[in-house]
Amino acid sequence: MPICSLVSVVDDDESVRESLPDLLKEFGFTVQAFSSAEEFLASDCVTQTKCLILDIAMPGMTGPDLQQELIRRRQDIPIVFITAHGEDNVRPRMLKEGAVECLFKPFSEAALLTALNTALQLNELN
Amino acid sequence: MEHGAGSTGAQDDPERAGDAKALPAGEAQFRGILDGIPGLVITAAGTGELELFNAPVLEFFGKTPEELRNWTISGIVYPDDLPRLIEVFTVSMSTGCPYDLEYRLRRFDGVYRWFHGRALPLRASDGRILNWCFLLTDVEDRRRAEALLASENRLLEMVAGGVSIPKILDELCRLVEDTATGSYCSVVLVDSTGTQLEHGAAPSLPSTFIKAIEGRPVNVDSGPCAMAAYLNEQVISTDIASETRWAAYEWCPMALAHGLRSCWSTPISSTTGRVLGAFAIYYTEPKTPTTEDQVLIGQFTHIASIAIERQRSQTSLTLALDELKTSEGRLRTIIDAIPGLVWSAAPDGNVDFLSQPWCDYTGVSMEESGGSGWAKTLHPEDAERLTTYWPSLLASGQPGEFEARFRHFDGSCRWFLVRAVPLHDETGQIIKWYGLNTDIEDRKRADSLLAGEKRLLEMVASSTPLALILEDLCKFVEATVSECYCSVLLVDPTRTHLQHAAGPSLPASFNASVNGLPLIVESGPCATAVCLNEQVIAADISLDTRWEQYAWCPMALANGLRACWSTPISSTTGMVLGIFAIYYTEPRTPTSWHQALIGQFTHIASIAIERAQGEAALRRSEAFLAKAQRLSSTGSFSWRVATGEITWSEQAYRIFGLSPALPVTLELIGSRVHPEDIPLMHDMVARAQAGQDFEYEHRLQMPDGSTKYLHMLAHGTVDREGQTEYIGAVQDVTERRLSEEALSKVRSELAHVARVTSLGAMTASIAHEVNQPLSGIITNASTCLRMLAANPPNIEGALETARRTIRDGNRASDVITRLRALFSKKEVVSEALDLNEATREVVALSLRDLQRSRVILRSELANDLPSVTGDRVQLQQVILNLLRNASDAMAGIKDRPRELVIKTERDECDHVRLTVQDTGIGLEGQGVDKLFEAFYTTKSNGMGIGLSVSRSIIENHRGRLWAAPNDGPGATFSFSIPRGPGAVTGANSLGAMRTRAVTDATRVMGNP
Repeated sequence: MPICSLVSVVDDDESVRESLPDLLKEFGFTVQAFSSAEEFLASDCVTQTKCLILDIAMPGMTGPDLQQELIRRRQDIPIVFITAHGEDNVRPRMLKEGAVECLFKPFSEAALLTALNTALQLNELN
Repeated sequence: MEHGAGSTGAQDDPERAGDAKALPAGEAQFRGILDGIPGLVITAAGTGELELFNAPVLEFFGKTPEELRNWTISGIVYPDDLPRLIEVFTVSMSTGCPYDLEYRLRRFDGVYRWFHGRALPLRASDGRILNWCFLLTDVEDRRRAEALLASENRLLEMVAGGVSIPKILDELCRLVEDTATGSYCSVVLVDSTGTQLEHGAAPSLPSTFIKAIEGRPVNVDSGPCAMAAYLNEQVISTDIASETRWAAYEWCPMALAHGLRSCWSTPISSTTGRVLGAFAIYYTEPKTPTTEDQVLIGQFTHIASIAIERQRSQTSLTLALDELKTSEGRLRTIIDAIPGLVWSAAPDGNVDFLSQPWCDYTGVSMEESGGSGWAKTLHPEDAERLTTYWPSLLASGQPGEFEARFRHFDGSCRWFLVRAVPLHDETGQIIKWYGLNTDIEDRKRADSLLAGEKRLLEMVASSTPLALILEDLCKFVEATVSECYCSVLLVDPTRTHLQHAAGPSLPASFNASVNGLPLIVESGPCATAVCLNEQVIAADISLDTRWEQYAWCPMALANGLRACWSTPISSTTGMVLGIFAIYYTEPRTPTSWHQALIGQFTHIASIAIERAQGEAALRRSEAFLAKAQRLSSTGSFSWRVATGEITWSEQAYRIFGLSPALPVTLELIGSRVHPEDIPLMHDMVARAQAGQDFEYEHRLQMPDGSTKYLHMLAHGTVDREGQTEYIGAVQDVTERRLSEEALSKVRSELAHVARVTSLGAMTASIAHEVNQPLSGIITNASTCLRMLAANPPNIEGALETARRTIRDGNRASDVITRLRALFSKKEVVSEALDLNEATREVVALSLRDLQRSRVILRSELANDLPSVTGDRVQLQQVILNLLRNASDAMAGIKDRPRELVIKTERDECDHVRLTVQDTGIGLEGQGVDKLFEAFYTTKSNGMGIGLSVSRSIIENHRGRLWAAPNDGPGATFSFSIPRGPGAVTGANSLGAMRTRAVTDATRVMGNP
């Protein structure tokens, strides 16, 4: 596992953008946080990103919208969806659409780490 | 004493002065008496020089004493009478003999009046004449009356004496000209075709004038007389010179050319109302008829009509009878066809001819009736009168008439008007009497019925007690229908029994037996009539087998009754009120005349009974109403908006704490209305003027400083004149309001929870709001642990994350604190809807709350609004939220009306816009966007979810919601959504909406 893999966080909630990168850094990742899908697409991190932690519900382009856009651009980045919306049917739908994982806020450190590992293994398979 | 007895210019005569001093009352009193005499008093010196005039003299003539002294030349005496007066005056002055003469004097206004003037000398002891005293008495009215009477008599004599019509009318004109000084009279007749005027009489008018009138068509244009005859109304031309009518026929220039300046034309009508002609009075000066003139005109036109009519009918009768003599066979049939009994008699009064109808009517042959045989058919009561009148008429040789009853062959009697006219030969000898008896029975009956009905209705109208009216009614019918007995029975209030009401001529025992009979068909004819609501005829009680069970027939027979006709008296609504019964001591069946009579009198009885019962019921219900109003603290009022007439019930006065003596005005009401509620009252007045019904809650400020809460409701009705009248109730709801307010905190919380509960979108929102901070807490705590576990531990980083953990924990706690209610899920439905209708529903639901908050609501809903597609309940939640926010924003406003305008309209890009404008505290410079953040609130007890959710809902409808400050006070909130169909996004609209709602709230949460 390369120690400095780039993980990008896209969430419109500032408290997530504040807390999550710090934890990921403690895990040893390089982290970039974006407040919207559009901001992420516009950055030069798209090709560098090894794992995308993506909020589902956002103003403007939603998480699934960004996922579709990346597929269209043939940017095959493993995605871990996060959502504060604990509805049962969301996770199977997201996994079916190709997500690595779908975490319900609040999620545990362990669940996050497991999801990240799965994502990075996918990277290596690719 | 300019105008009084002191107006003397004479030298003081010592002797006269002495006489005056001798009066015990003194000079002043003497003058007072003189001025007070209701007559004109003038004194003159012994030589005839006028000296002193009392006040009435000066008032009458309106001239100065100097002018009066020159009476022979100053025009105060009518020119025709002056020479005679001067002659008599001169003789008296020279001989000392008193005189006594009638002559006309000119009043100040130019009107001449007849006076009786007497001159008396006042002599000294030696016989020398000291003074003359003239007493002038106004005899105009007496002369007119006398002249009228004399003229009338004279004319009527002429009419009766068969004088030709032109002579009578000539005389009539002359008599009027004599009576009305300076007048010229004419009579024109309407010809037999009714289309042209023909000459009647005009003895003093120029023949060219008469010629110019003759043959003019009877219409409004050809002249005043033609116009009067055409319209059958008086036509007055006070000044022909300034007259504009009749120009088409140039009548005015023609009349002016003959020296005439005024004309008063009055139609002459027959007794049947047909216009026979016109009577006209002309003057050579402009003149308006006085009351006396009108009396004169009235009397003479009446005489003229009699003369013309009588002449015409007499002519036709005489003609018929004359022809009879010459051509008996043919004309006898004509005579017999005359609808009257025609007869003729010899000069000695022996009847020598009777027409066939006479014989048919009386059933007595011509032979038996001849001579004086006819008298046997007279009603005994009339026979005596006629047998004295007839010889006296014969002796007078004058025409005459007489009313008498003649017996029909069946024994009944009918009234006839007997007219007899003598026929004279060339020498004036009476050669024959002709007569016509006209049947006037129906008229007599009708007259007497009418008089009776009138009297009864007057009694009803004047609220005479019912018993008296009914008694009078019975007596009247008994007087009209011979040999009958009447009674009236009423249905008792429980509708189980008959009650005796009137039966003045029936035996008391009979009335007592009938009183209280049960209302069943078996108990007697009257009860049967009530039960069946139809007339019950017992033509012969002795043969009747009905009512056996109650032995009614034997009871009636024992009271001497043999026939009974019972007729129900029904109210206007068809309910039987009672019975009108007619009894006979002989078997009888009602004729159609009887039935007509019964119909009329049961009708009058029903009016009387209904009115009496209605009045009693009204008194009762008024008392009930007053009591009910008092018990329920409810007053009633009526308000005619156009006239401002307001009527209050007693209780309404009590509620307002005002004296019932005060007339109610809006000002008076305004004096009691709480100052803060005056705008509400103005709004109410405006609504009323627009003809809308209204319902308000407002406060009164009582003089003792206390506050009353009133609930008022008014409904407008439009009366027959098209005027709006509001009938309303006003209730004192103070007690209710006070207890309501005590509960208001509890309720507002409940209402708030209920408001939020109904929002489906909030379920998701809550989970989101709670999960976000929890997520932060857990992530931060994990980071913190890792930082502390590192070697070396990252203390600074750990402290920072720990602080974030606490902050997010507090935030979560805040969320939990605020979300005190559970949110339930609700199905979201997308449908085509009328935003106006949805708005009206919300307004209707909010109206009471708004009024309670003293908010004046104005709706301006566009008529042509296209429908939108969306969730009706959600959109209504948004509208409700906007209305509540607006109302809340105005809660603290005291210095201006709390006005709220809700408006719908088309917006650009096929959108529909709804706007809510208030006059509240406004946006106060805070970030407008901040308003829409969840939990952002300016309200002490608000949760702040409303606007945020509202915006989510609107955005889910692909619309937008925004706020803007007003130019004046307050703010305006609007939303604009696209018109349907397909307004709600996404195939799975449920999911899509949820997601979007969350999105919005998420953004807000991210920017604390």
